[in-house]
Amino acid sequence: MSKRTMTLNLTDAEMAALESLCLKKDLNKTSVMRQALRLYQFVDQRVERGEKLFVEDEAKSSKAELVMI
Amino acid sequence: MTFASGYLLDVASGQAAEAEVLHEIGDKQILDWHTLWRPSLHQGLINLAANEGSRASPPQSVHWNWQEKANHPSQIWAEGFCVVCGGETQGMMLVNLVSQHARLPGQEGKHLVYVDYVETAPWNRARLHNPPRYRGVGALLMRAAIDKSFFEGYKGRVGLHSLPQSAAWYESKLNMTSLGEDPSKQNLPYFEMSTEQAIRITGRRSS
Repeated sequence: MSKRTMTLNLTDAEMAALESLCLKKDLNKTSVMRQALRLYQFVDQRVERGEKLFVEDEAKSSKAELVMI
Repeated sequence: MTFASGYLLDVASGQAAEAEVLHEIGDKQILDWHTLWRPSLHQGLINLAANEGSRASPPQSVHWNWQEKANHPSQIWAEGFCVVCGGETQGMMLVNLVSQHARLPGQEGKHLVYVDYVETAPWNRARLHNPPRYRGVGALLMRAAIDKSFFEGYKGRVGLHSLPQSAAWYESKLNMTSLGEDPSKQNLPYFEMSTEQAIRITGRRSS
């Protein structure tokens, strides 16, 4: 599969978040960014099909719908 | 595009047959599914009924429609693989890179390659066509899933829900760990491969 390279400009906070995710998920930066893109498309396609996305905290009995813009 | 190459066992001759693992399920595979797999499945079901009578349970993948499953070229969260040998599609697999996370203690919550669907051509299944044409298709596809996992940085972690008829194969042949039936997935048995198991099966050096 052919690959293309791009430069990504991030703020300090965004870079810190990326580095933190790399540590937590045991992935390199490229893998985290690719995973984020896949997840974004996965969710977007399901929402576009009319499905809904919720976050739920069973302990607090709270449930909120996430709206993708 | 070629992802890997390997060998199948040509059952009739007892010889190794060179096979290619492609990182796609393309038009050729869908054509083979329509023109070769479906008639072979039909004949296989007749064979099954003749051999096992009314108690015969059909393959649990009998209703799978590969045209519907694989026809999403712009999708980046799911990827297709297939095995081609003798100019024909011998098996297909669809993996999902976002829908599941590892559950095994020690790798819980980490990313893995989740095998959504994997199937070998009907003529390679001994219950449908005895003797089968080739052996080793499932192993080549699962090896591709493990290699994909290493390539993505998931360190060989692979997970799947097995159809009950195939569960023993994942446990005994691939040495995957059984985590029992999953009530969130029609009680299908869930299996997972750890990094250590993947290294053992592929012969890779641990990093």
